Amino acid sequence: MHESEFPMIFSKKTTKTLGALALGSGLLLTGCAQGTDSEAAVQPDNSPLQADALQVTESWAKAADSGMSAAFAMLNNVSELPVELESVTEKDHGTTMEIHEMDGEGTDMVMQQIDGPLLIDAGHRVELAPGGNHIMYMDLSEPLVPAETSTLTLNFSDGSSKDVDFAIRNYDGANESYHGDGEHADHAEQAEHGEGGH
Amino acid sequence: MTNPAPRPSRRVVLTGSAAAALGGLVGGFGIGQITTGRAEAGNTTDPAAPSAGYRGFHGRHQAGILDDAQAHAVFLGIDLVPGDLDASGQRERLRSILKLLTEDAQRLMSGQGVLADTEPEMAVMPANLTLTVGLSRTMIELIGDSLAPDSLGPLPDFGIDELREEYGQSDVIIQLCAEDPTVLAHAVRALRKNLRSITTVKFEQRGFTHATSSRPAGSPFRNLFGQVDGINNPVGGNREIAVFGFEPGDTWFPDATTLVLRRISMDLDSWDEVDRPGRDFALGRRQTDGSPLSGNQVQDPVDLNAVNEMGLPRISAHAHVARAMPHGAQEVLWRRGYSYLDGSNAGLLFASYQRDVAESFIPVQSRLAELDALNEWTTPIGSAVYGILPGVAEGMYLGQQLFEAAGRS
Repeated sequence: MHESEFPMIFSKKTTKTLGALALGSGLLLTGCAQGTDSEAAVQPDNSPLQADALQVTESWAKAADSGMSAAFAMLNNVSELPVELESVTEKDHGTTMEIHEMDGEGTDMVMQQIDGPLLIDAGHRVELAPGGNHIMYMDLSEPLVPAETSTLTLNFSDGSSKDVDFAIRNYDGANESYHGDGEHADHAEQAEHGEGGH
Repeated sequence: MTNPAPRPSRRVVLTGSAAAALGGLVGGFGIGQITTGRAEAGNTTDPAAPSAGYRGFHGRHQAGILDDAQAHAVFLGIDLVPGDLDASGQRERLRSILKLLTEDAQRLMSGQGVLADTEPEMAVMPANLTLTVGLSRTMIELIGDSLAPDSLGPLPDFGIDELREEYGQSDVIIQLCAEDPTVLAHAVRALRKNLRSITTVKFEQRGFTHATSSRPAGSPFRNLFGQVDGINNPVGGNREIAVFGFEPGDTWFPDATTLVLRRISMDLDSWDEVDRPGRDFALGRRQTDGSPLSGNQVQDPVDLNAVNEMGLPRISAHAHVARAMPHGAQEVLWRRGYSYLDGSNAGLLFASYQRDVAESFIPVQSRLAELDALNEWTTPIGSAVYGILPGVAEGMYLGQQLFEAAGRS
């Protein structure tokens, strides 16, 4: 279950970006980091493709036998244009993927599918992390085995895409409740069942 | 050569320039480490500031071998969980584990948490942390049938051994060493979490030696019998020759070596009953300063022909030093051992690196098993031998050269 003190991850967005994202009022994405490290040292890159503009680091996915799991990374937009991550696809583990955001506060936080693309503003980075935004495996039919990798395809609003390897690691957190439609079981329960038999 | 000299990690370089948004490089930061890492690493101009202590991961040889022993060590022995994997599946599992260990070692040694780390702050000052990885003969043969020659062992049964299965051979060994036991605890915990479910832990053997601050680097240490241990340990070029030979073909695989890990129980209570002359007689050296009974100073040679005024040998033929003395350069070992103490269980984690087990450790240990005055107070209770993998360059994973040599790259 979630703890009261999540390692809250705040995307580095301007107020304008927050508005553009039409985020729910209770969302904990505070526009806290204007003018900090991410803006200081961006190397402008005029490449027209969003897939080239986005550099992905620290990418990992939570090991699971089946059902749901989650993937995390640092998304760094090194260009002068915004990047919009529209969808994520996966072909090796027989699962659909969704991009999720966290809603609510403290222990009442739930996750829900993001409304519209995930925007990474020019020269900024967005962190996908437990307790924050993340990429979701919805219905794994093949296990995510620790120490192996899961290749995800990131699809952008300009039609470009890129494959990124996510290192699969054991992780006991990231058990957020799912703001689902009733057909999905509670995420925490799924994750518990999905844990790789430790 | 490994490079034992401290060098700044990628993270430290980055913090200096605050280049956090530089695309791929931002990955150098573990989650939650961005501010703490900067604050502490940025403070290095203060002469009173603690030294972060970095030993480089990449190099021709792995770190943690030729460099002087850090104060604390954990030898983590793990076994693969084969499940229903066939040989090919097990080989790929081993490869993925080696990739994981490579990633974790690079990150932890440079002061970053591992991926999915829940406490990356504990990794920030690595305190000369090293991770050194080796494989059992079985695992090496799994990579390639012909990769494991006799120079790798296995060890024969020695008559003095009273081995316990719990300290026996594991598939993989990870030697973790650091000056700081808290850093070490985090590194071990991070590895164990990452390896959970695909491996089981065979043993986690902890050891210690002197704090670096309490004596000059590279000094011999006092074991729990009070003896000065490691006086004749090779140094400099001789150490490198003992461990890696003169050329790549001198070891079981180029730039690889072997590790013998033995847990030797020491009976401190019965040792208490032995008075100083008896102690010095059993070892062949004086407890006061480690000097041989054939001389007056610690660096004097062990001279088995030296006699006293009555014509009797100054060093007994069955003293430990007489039996352990190498019969030629090929028998020289580099001992990098640690004491262990848990309640009344005390002893030595004997860890020796050598070019060729069959030509060095086995003949020396065979002599000691046959006759050694110290055997009355010491009992080997654990024993394993490993092929220590060659070092790697950036972008490679540990063991990659073996997979390539076996045509399985």
